[in-house]
Amino acid sequence: MHDMTHTFGLVRRLAGTLAIGLSIALAAPARDVSAQQVSGGTLRVAVIADIANFDPHQFSFVNATLIKNLYDSLLEYTPEGKAIPSLAESWQIAPDSKSVTLSLRKDVKFHSGAPFNADAVAANLKKAADPKLGKNLFATMSIVDNWTVVDPATIRVNFKSPVPERQITDLFQFMTIIDPAGIDTVEQKPAGSGAYMLAERVVGQRIKLAANPGYWRSGQPVSKDVEITIFSQDAAATAALESGGVDIIYGGTLRSASRLRQAGYPVLDGPGPLVQVFRINSTRGPFKNAKFRQAFNHLMDRESILRVGYAGLGQIVALPWAPSGPAFDPSYAQTYAFNLDKAKDLLAQSGLSPAEMSAWKLVVNAGSQPDVGISQVVQATLKRVGINIELDMKEGSELVETMLQGRFDALFGGVGNIQKFPSRLATNSIYRTVNNPVLGTPHPHPEYVAAIERVNTTLGTGPEVKAAYDNLNKVLVETAFGIPTNTFDQGVIVTGKTVGGFTLDMDNMLVLRTTGFRK
Amino acid sequence: MIGSLEAATHIAARVAARPAALAALVFLGALTLLATFAGALGLDPLEQDIVRMLEGPSRDYPFGTDELGRDILARVIFGARTSLATAAGAVLLAAAIGVPIGLVAGFFGGWRDAVLMRVVDLLLALPGIMMALALIAVLGRSQAAALVAVGITGVPTFARVARAQVLSLRRRDFVTAVEAFGATSSYSMFRTILPNSWSPILTQMVVLSSVAILLEAALSFLGVGIPPPTPSWGEMLRTGKEYLHDAPTFAVLPGLALTLTILAFDTLGRALSTVLEGRDTVVPARGNQP
Repeated sequence: MHDMTHTFGLVRRLAGTLAIGLSIALAAPARDVSAQQVSGGTLRVAVIADIANFDPHQFSFVNATLIKNLYDSLLEYTPEGKAIPSLAESWQIAPDSKSVTLSLRKDVKFHSGAPFNADAVAANLKKAADPKLGKNLFATMSIVDNWTVVDPATIRVNFKSPVPERQITDLFQFMTIIDPAGIDTVEQKPAGSGAYMLAERVVGQRIKLAANPGYWRSGQPVSKDVEITIFSQDAAATAALESGGVDIIYGGTLRSASRLRQAGYPVLDGPGPLVQVFRINSTRGPFKNAKFRQAFNHLMDRESILRVGYAGLGQIVALPWAPSGPAFDPSYAQTYAFNLDKAKDLLAQSGLSPAEMSAWKLVVNAGSQPDVGISQVVQATLKRVGINIELDMKEGSELVETMLQGRFDALFGGVGNIQKFPSRLATNSIYRTVNNPVLGTPHPHPEYVAAIERVNTTLGTGPEVKAAYDNLNKVLVETAFGIPTNTFDQGVIVTGKTVGGFTLDMDNMLVLRTTGFRK
Repeated sequence: MIGSLEAATHIAARVAARPAALAALVFLGALTLLATFAGALGLDPLEQDIVRMLEGPSRDYPFGTDELGRDILARVIFGARTSLATAAGAVLLAAAIGVPIGLVAGFFGGWRDAVLMRVVDLLLALPGIMMALALIAVLGRSQAAALVAVGITGVPTFARVARAQVLSLRRRDFVTAVEAFGATSSYSMFRTILPNSWSPILTQMVVLSSVAILLEAALSFLGVGIPPPTPSWGEMLRTGKEYLHDAPTFAVLPGLALTLTILAFDTLGRALSTVLEGRDTVVPARGNQP
């Protein structure tokens, strides 16, 4: 067996520095590129899967190719997490933090020619608040009580209780605006105000976009046409880029991205990755024991997991936050680094026998090569401390049911919304504070529920906010029902060598309005 | 007929006299030895050396390393153990179920023959891979489940071959004579007819071994075979194809091992059939293939 502890010792000591440095290094090329002079043309994009539908409120990854090209959101975030205007020119949060007033742009029209105004925002708020129609926005709308159209360019949104600023901006950054006349048919027919309009779609084969001639952002989109080709195989998309058949690959595998980067192709890693989390069902078997769970903070060979599962593209984390997330704290990756001695101490403190410690199975997503690889890394690591487990391979609906109904001891699963307000973490099943499908009701870790509540109710930007975040981080590693290992990017962008001018999206969606060919 | 050690030796010599069959025998013998004594070679198919993952062939790793830095040579050798053990178990299981079915159906005829053969026809109508997938879905993923799934798909072949042999021997004088002396049906079937039916059954066992190895590899390739980290050629092919650009040996070598093994079993089966049945250009029925 190899000993990664020694090999990666230096990396671990520098993890905090690298955590910040890497994100800057990865983001920097995008900013540099966007500052370059680019000219238009036809952008040819390769994706691996077709879209699910045109509803921008459904954030399936496959839809991320189109959402920010056909639609605009009320606010946007810079890669560093600073809220900036988009369809809303400005926003004013009330002194009591119980409402926000949005001032909207007056020069925006939907693709249909209908004007964008406060009524359109109200119609979208209504859709988002509908449990059947709201899709991924529905949970975010839980803080909203009601809204008032003040005038055609102003809308006030009232909250149920005081809401922290970041949670408010998260809501409006999430909210892409659909033409009210097209809300009922948006799954089949796009109805946005974005930089591009749908020109053609051949299901399973290609999507063509044409520039919106009336787009409100001056000089954009740079490229007049976009041709998106759906490749079923990552290798085919890679070959197409290398042969000059496409200009961009979006959402390919990290293994291919790593190889193409080594071959000199620019790889853009956005600020909104997922975090891989070793999810533990703390209501079952040896995982009821807190010390046993805490040992897993040190049993995760994160460097190996990142390398095997994600070709080294991403970064090591011990908390479920992206570096751009407000609660991100790189020191935890050092404190809770892979360390078999510390793990053995905690295992001894658990009082469990070797047989009890081995009485569980690791469920594995058999259809995901990264999951199969990293699960075998964990299996081999556990064997070194005397824990012998079997892998329980599952796929498709069986896997989904197992995950969502909590019928597992432990499994790996990606967690999203980790670059947003910290309590957004609770939208992921294992981290839910109420109706948790894995841990059940009442929640077995009330200290975690209290820590989320404290984050939700701590207003302002002062030390009390940081204290709330620190408390949440401490509780996360102590309760240890989720052991984060690394960030990884589902929406990695690999480009041809002549393509530039990318705008990085906070959710790693594909944004093409500033993209073109270098002059 | 193989009635004695002398006869077996004679048949083996006749098979070995055919160059292709001899090469197949040598290959399979070497593979079996390697698979049996793999543990004594000091190779560990599970040891991870992630720093050296996806390396090409080197002195330390003659076949290179896989995505977890494991020795591909070790995994190919231990994969042979998996494939051969699964194939042997599956073929024995198929013969153990299929031969008695064929014996009873052929011996008694009538409604028993009709019922048993319709069941066999039903099994034959289902593509082997589909049946195996369905069985795995019920039994779960494990080596035992793969063995049972592969074995069940071979049952119809043995049943039909055994039935055909019974029908050809049932009215022969030596069977009639035994029955005239008061032999029971069981005695006639298992002590009189079966020993005289071994030639085609043995041929089918060899030929079906190649089918079983292929089917087990296909199940692993589809991700429903033997679960990791147990080495399996099919699983290595499945994973290795993702890394063809980085580490070509990862998929090519297990693929080569699989191809050569199937070719060897097939060649041996054909030679055995030719020798045992006294025909020069016999192509044994492959029965229920994936």
